[in-house]
Amino acid sequence: MTAFRALLRSELRVFLRDKTSLTFTFLFPLLFIVIFGYLMGGTGSAGGSKLGLVVAAPVDGSRLQSVIAEVGVAQVERYAASGDLEEAIDARDVDFGAAWDGATLTFVYDVRRTQENFAFEELARGIAARFDLANQGRRPLLDVIPVVEGGEAGADWFTLVVPGILAFSILSAGLFAVAGHVTSMKQRRLLERLVVTPMSPVAFLAAIVVVRLGVVFLSTLATLGTAVGLFHVAFHMSWLHYVVFVVAATVGTMGLGTVIALVVRQPSSASSLANVLSMLMLFVSGVYFPIEIMPSFLRALSMAMPLRHMADAMRYTTGVMDMSELRFWVICGTLLLGGLALLPILSRYVVRAERR
Amino acid sequence: MRGILCLARAYLATALRERITLFWFLVFPLFLLALLAAIFGNVGQTTSLTFDIAVVNLDQGPAGRVDFGALVAGTFRELSQPGTSGKDPLFRLHEPAVGDVDAAAYLASEIGALKVGKRAAVVEIPVGFSDALVAAAGGSAVVEGAEATARVIVHTSGGRTSSDMALDIIEEVLVGVDKQILAQLGLFDAARTVVVGRQEVGSEDRTLGYVDFLVPGVVIMGFFVAGLFSVPGTILFGRERRILRAYWVTPLNVPRFLAGFSLGHLGLCALQFACVWLLGRFAFGAHVNLFQPLPMLYLVLSMVTFLALGFLVAALARTPNAGMAIANIVNMPMMFLGGLFYPTGSMPPALRVIMMANPVTYLADGLRASAGVSTASFPVAVSLGVPCAWIVGCAIVASLQLKWDVGR
Amino acid sequence: MEPTALMKVSNLIKHYGDVHAVDDVSFSVPKAEVFTLLGPNGAGKTTTLEILEGIREADSGSIEIFGQRLRHIDRATKERIGVLLQEGNFEPYLRVREVLTLFASFFRTARSPAEMLKTIALEEKANAFVKTLSGGQKQRLAIGVALINDPELVFLDEPTTGLDPQARRNIWSIVSNLTASGKAIILTTHYMEEAETLSQSVCIMDHGKVIAEGSPRELTARLGRETIVDFVATEDCELPEALSSSCESVRGEGGLVSVRTTDLVATLGRLLDWSRASGVPLTEMAVRQPNLEDVFLSLTGRRLRT
Repeated sequence: MTAFRALLRSELRVFLRDKTSLTFTFLFPLLFIVIFGYLMGGTGSAGGSKLGLVVAAPVDGSRLQSVIAEVGVAQVERYAASGDLEEAIDARDVDFGAAWDGATLTFVYDVRRTQENFAFEELARGIAARFDLANQGRRPLLDVIPVVEGGEAGADWFTLVVPGILAFSILSAGLFAVAGHVTSMKQRRLLERLVVTPMSPVAFLAAIVVVRLGVVFLSTLATLGTAVGLFHVAFHMSWLHYVVFVVAATVGTMGLGTVIALVVRQPSSASSLANVLSMLMLFVSGVYFPIEIMPSFLRALSMAMPLRHMADAMRYTTGVMDMSELRFWVICGTLLLGGLALLPILSRYVVRAERR
Repeated sequence: MRGILCLARAYLATALRERITLFWFLVFPLFLLALLAAIFGNVGQTTSLTFDIAVVNLDQGPAGRVDFGALVAGTFRELSQPGTSGKDPLFRLHEPAVGDVDAAAYLASEIGALKVGKRAAVVEIPVGFSDALVAAAGGSAVVEGAEATARVIVHTSGGRTSSDMALDIIEEVLVGVDKQILAQLGLFDAARTVVVGRQEVGSEDRTLGYVDFLVPGVVIMGFFVAGLFSVPGTILFGRERRILRAYWVTPLNVPRFLAGFSLGHLGLCALQFACVWLLGRFAFGAHVNLFQPLPMLYLVLSMVTFLALGFLVAALARTPNAGMAIANIVNMPMMFLGGLFYPTGSMPPALRVIMMANPVTYLADGLRASAGVSTASFPVAVSLGVPCAWIVGCAIVASLQLKWDVGR
Repeated sequence: MEPTALMKVSNLIKHYGDVHAVDDVSFSVPKAEVFTLLGPNGAGKTTTLEILEGIREADSGSIEIFGQRLRHIDRATKERIGVLLQEGNFEPYLRVREVLTLFASFFRTARSPAEMLKTIALEEKANAFVKTLSGGQKQRLAIGVALINDPELVFLDEPTTGLDPQARRNIWSIVSNLTASGKAIILTTHYMEEAETLSQSVCIMDHGKVIAEGSPRELTARLGRETIVDFVATEDCELPEALSSSCESVRGEGGLVSVRTTDLVATLGRLLDWSRASGVPLTEMAVRQPNLEDVFLSLTGRRLRT
């Protein structure tokens, strides 16, 4: 038992001294949450947009104006002529414009605002639809009542991203524990020195797992705390699911790291490959961008990504998104069993002599 | 001169031969461009998605009256038929089987499926819908404040974007249904329907798309990553492994080395630019014109600014690992707080300060504005001046702090 | 300065705090000769060389190279010297030929890389990446780089450390061919055989000081017409009184004993008698002529290789 404790202490010390590991495991998720929390704070739908309006006299624009107000445009500027409106749009005095001559309602956009026009166009569609009725003195007959079932109502992009980032930080921790830490020890021939002692490789690996688990718990809790404390994200944590998932995911991603360590020719290339793969996975696993807006082949590809399922499980754990309980346990089970199954292989990797 | 050219060639050769460097400096920007263009290039246009929805009509209107509930359900049924142009239909419809009496139980099971993501939305036409609709139609002459409407309940799944998208589409569909019903009731004259037009201003080129906005951003990102990682990496590892020392025992001096190194780095950036532009142009139809004087100036200024930034990092780090750690920490805030990929909306003062100090902000803004894909947030003098100030600052710090050999 | 000396070093001093890394060192390097600085690790050989290569600054002392007194090694001097660094490296992803071309471009005149590849016997590896080379091949490349500008004075800092015997011999053959063209070589090593085989002049250093200087033959001649008897004995046995009074003996690690004697026959007799009488077996007995290791031993009481 003392050998294990000694290993535990040394593993912890090594980890704390490794600035790169510390940065990626702790700093990154926190930095990401802080930056994106503030970035996304202001944007969202174009609720704060300004519309420029031209109504060709002698047409009455009052109905149009009341529809515009209903739709939720923040401010309306009246202009006498289309030319004035175009200038105003060009000069960014208003975000987009509408011109009504009694028969045609023309929406005017600044083509250079490629990132924001999508939101303005959505507003325009709402205006056009309601105005079509109001113009003939009609109100809409149908009222659409949205009801949110399961998950978090009004979950915006940031609320969805935070669990994804948590999943990614667990992935990094587990991946680099093997394809980074262990491989670097192999490279520097430190494993050889440990192996000729009576220490069992299992104790060594167990020490690594325990340290990583501790680190991951601390890091995810800190990130969650920041997201909730600083940005008031509404999470409904299921702590049981959280603990189960973190343990399973850490072990599972260490298994993934083992696969990488076996695949590379040189131990030193393992961490580079792990870096590349985790970065690619990050972009196609629905962490940054919702899966649904991706082209179909990418959506299919994402099903094969562990990170995709880990992100979904984390969203379930934080109460943001619902999923079947069975699926959650399948994900955790696959991760845990996969990792455990690869542990003996990792053990052999630790012990095996390197071909010079 | 020969030495300088040889050094430049050596820098370029080693950068391209190391697979990892090749990946991050060439493959990754191309990958990012392709991914973002594929995803966001489609947003706003008709999506190619098909949504799994359920429509449950709980309103069994008495015979003899028009069954408006059935009308609504019928609309959704039509939209789930394959289109004439062979495109996938908008919806995949799930309905209770004909003759299935227990619609409420069906609704409950569909909502269960909705929660776990098997449905994007569940449309519930409640009991009394037809009656409510007729009542609303009766009072439909505009009376300010009249609240009479018939409710349609749309159930969505929390935390799922597909649900939000389905809701938007269903709302639009129901607007159309609304008009249809009004027309059927004689309350709406389809001939007088408002014609909707569209006009664009702001640029000669009326066909600019998201990818034209994206290409300059990815180009700058590429230069940024190359300068931030490749420069300190090469110098710090070269210094530690005594590769640089082998140069200092020859007549090669630091200024000539810097000239060759910088030339090689600019060559790498030029190669990055060429690859990104070619991909954007020929795979995604980007036609933003970067080959004009002012955009070209911004491009060159960017290359030099990030080169200088790399020297700064090399000067501040004592070991190669410390250098890479600095680069990694600084990388994310500078990229994202520079407006490369997200419009920087309202930000707290602390982050705004970072954004205003960040050379990426000015270079991206200046490049995009001068290429005509966005409006400038800063005057040209500022967006040229701030990066120049950074170059001077980095050069001063590096010339004072950067050690070219270990342990002297 | 002797007319044929390319470099003369006088009273060179370099201190790091209390440590006297280079403590009043003086020597001169003649033309067309291999001059070796021999000493154990930490003797100050590399520090001395690095001062002469221009990488370090001396605290005091004078350096004369090519007839000019210099405070710093300047660019004109660098055109005429070649340097093999200790623990030097090249960019791992450059090809052998590219490394030679690159360094050639730093000098006003240089030999062609193709020619140099032949000299260092790396023609087959001309297009190989540096990272694929073995230790010996890397060292040959480094020598090629040191010679690319056809220098008059060549610095070789520990050229064969860490190499296997075959690679070491390859390097030796390249080095010994150099003096034929009039080049002066200054070499540092802690391998006695290297100093003996290659050099015409040896300067033995220890703790920053020069403790002996001369040709290998002159140095070993100091020990007179002595012969050395080596054998291995068990650690804790005492050599007989008669033996230790008439000749010098030194115990080394692993029970190795070296006995220096001017009367070989008598000493051998006494050793054998003693062995028979005390029952201590004498294994691995060898009789040989003194070498530089023994010179160092006699001067410092320690071995060259720790």
